Amino acid sequence: MKARPDVPSIGAAASPLLQELGDVLELGVLTLDRSLVVRGCNRWLAMAIGVADTELIGRSIFDIFDGLAGSPAEQAFRRALNGVTTVWSQQFHGFLLPLPAPPGHESFERMQQSARIAPVMREGEVDGVLALVQDVTERVAREQALRRALQAAEVASQAKSDFLAAMSHELRTPLGAIVGYMELLLGDMVGALEPLQRSYLGRVRAAARHLITIIEEILSFSRLEAGKQPIYLEDADAAELARDAKELFEPQATEKGLALVLDLPSTVVPLRTDKTKLRQILINLLGNAVKFTDTGRVSLELNAVNDRVVFRVRDTGSGITATDAARIFDPFTQVDQSLKRVKGGTGLGLPVSQRLSRLLEGDLTVDSVVGEGTTFTLSLPVVISARSGALPESPRATPIAGAPAGS
Amino acid sequence: MNIDALDLDALTELFNIGLHRAASSLSELAGQRIIVDLPQLWVTPIEEMHGRLERIMVGELATVHQIFKGRMTGDAVLVLEYDSATRLADLLTQGGVALDGRLDQSAREVLAEVGNVILSSCLSVFGDMLKVSVTFSVPRMHVESLEGLLRSLVIEQGDVRIALLAATRFRLTEQEVAGYLIIGLGLTSLTLINGALEARARE
Repeated sequence: MKARPDVPSIGAAASPLLQELGDVLELGVLTLDRSLVVRGCNRWLAMAIGVADTELIGRSIFDIFDGLAGSPAEQAFRRALNGVTTVWSQQFHGFLLPLPAPPGHESFERMQQSARIAPVMREGEVDGVLALVQDVTERVAREQALRRALQAAEVASQAKSDFLAAMSHELRTPLGAIVGYMELLLGDMVGALEPLQRSYLGRVRAAARHLITIIEEILSFSRLEAGKQPIYLEDADAAELARDAKELFEPQATEKGLALVLDLPSTVVPLRTDKTKLRQILINLLGNAVKFTDTGRVSLELNAVNDRVVFRVRDTGSGITATDAARIFDPFTQVDQSLKRVKGGTGLGLPVSQRLSRLLEGDLTVDSVVGEGTTFTLSLPVVISARSGALPESPRATPIAGAPAGS
Repeated sequence: MNIDALDLDALTELFNIGLHRAASSLSELAGQRIIVDLPQLWVTPIEEMHGRLERIMVGELATVHQIFKGRMTGDAVLVLEYDSATRLADLLTQGGVALDGRLDQSAREVLAEVGNVILSSCLSVFGDMLKVSVTFSVPRMHVESLEGLLRSLVIEQGDVRIALLAATRFRLTEQEVAGYLIIGLGLTSLTLINGALEARARE
């Protein structure tokens, strides 16, 4: 079939079927001979060039497109003449052929394209070049809009975290003074109190302490979110940390009639980690277990498995469903909102614990059976890898990430 | 020929030349220094590939296939674990693709081009050494399982099917991403390569 000069075709040798196929494709098809002279192109490409009625066929590709000579596009065409196929992605190149941007996307100087440039083989020899050009301008515009939206969201999220951290810090400072003066009054440091006064002041102190706990949780969470939690590495005994955490909750457990049980190896379980953060996780987990278990027992188990140290906090509480378990580490979530009113809390304890465990290169998971109880498993490496940054010298503790403590 | 008769050191050298060329091209493309090196090379019958790979390639794989033809024929594949693929695309484009941690269309195109550059560079080195022209198909980018990958390798029928398996490492912006090259070919092509290696050694 001979190509008519006024109707672009994908090539003089193309069959009628191929010709029709080329003309319905929503991408550009260009064929060149060994001298990079246009042998054919389809309707889509001719329209994109904007010269549908002119003679493209028979003209050198360099005559049609200014600036193509010496460009990476020419190199790709020449590679095809050596039998090499080239993938041309928009991300690296922008475009293959300097075509005008499609309507509605005038902010782009050129139509954004991805392309494939391949040799055309005839009887085992390279006879020319085939280029397939796809217009991806719309997709690139969408991705740019998405990227801008993500950046804006990140800025907003950072601002929120900074605000929370600053506000929590400002709230905690006067509350410390309030509790301090309460202690002075209740300690009869400024004179004996009437029983009713003592009772009321005791309630104020309890409320203030509760408020401090909530603010501490928000502060921890906001620091983690803002990436401002430094890690201080120390040599520690996991068994000793478990015993310390258990002791803290003995009075509460006894008061509720719960058995609080430790199951530890008989030997020291050494690990190198951030003791303060590990202690915070254990206190959160044990505190939750004691708070949400009305009868039965709460246990803290410790095992050393290969290069991991595994803590398990089991309770015989009411348990949670799989759906609730799936969102238990989401911030500001408390599985049973009615419990929140009864038991108090921000719903940040578990999210903070999980983020802290990840900061310590470990993981925190939950298993629960409704009506039987819940088990939280904290798995930590025996030695933290310090992948977050360099290890400054310090004889006692080694900070490896984030801002200085107290920031 | 026997696989054990292959000169692995000489093959490793060829791969290193190819990867060095690929690294230069990728550095130019991405506008940053990229090193692609080859920590290890194995030659193994295709039937034994699954046992060897299932321990090191876990979950979904991002692959770029490029079939090559000429006197040397077979299927060359760049293989990355899914997460490594998104990370590599993200690093190469400095956050330009894989915005939500998935291999979106742009990320797939970037990886197809990366695979194209690496596979073409390596196969061209083989072609140059054999003094034969090798032509390449248009690369195909897939997300597939290890089983799917091994099933889809296109190698001449009726020939003993061999794989050259090369572990690679992309190093850029102080980070590393691990990947693998699999060049599946028939014993005929491998014998050709071996003959050329021996001739080269005698020169």
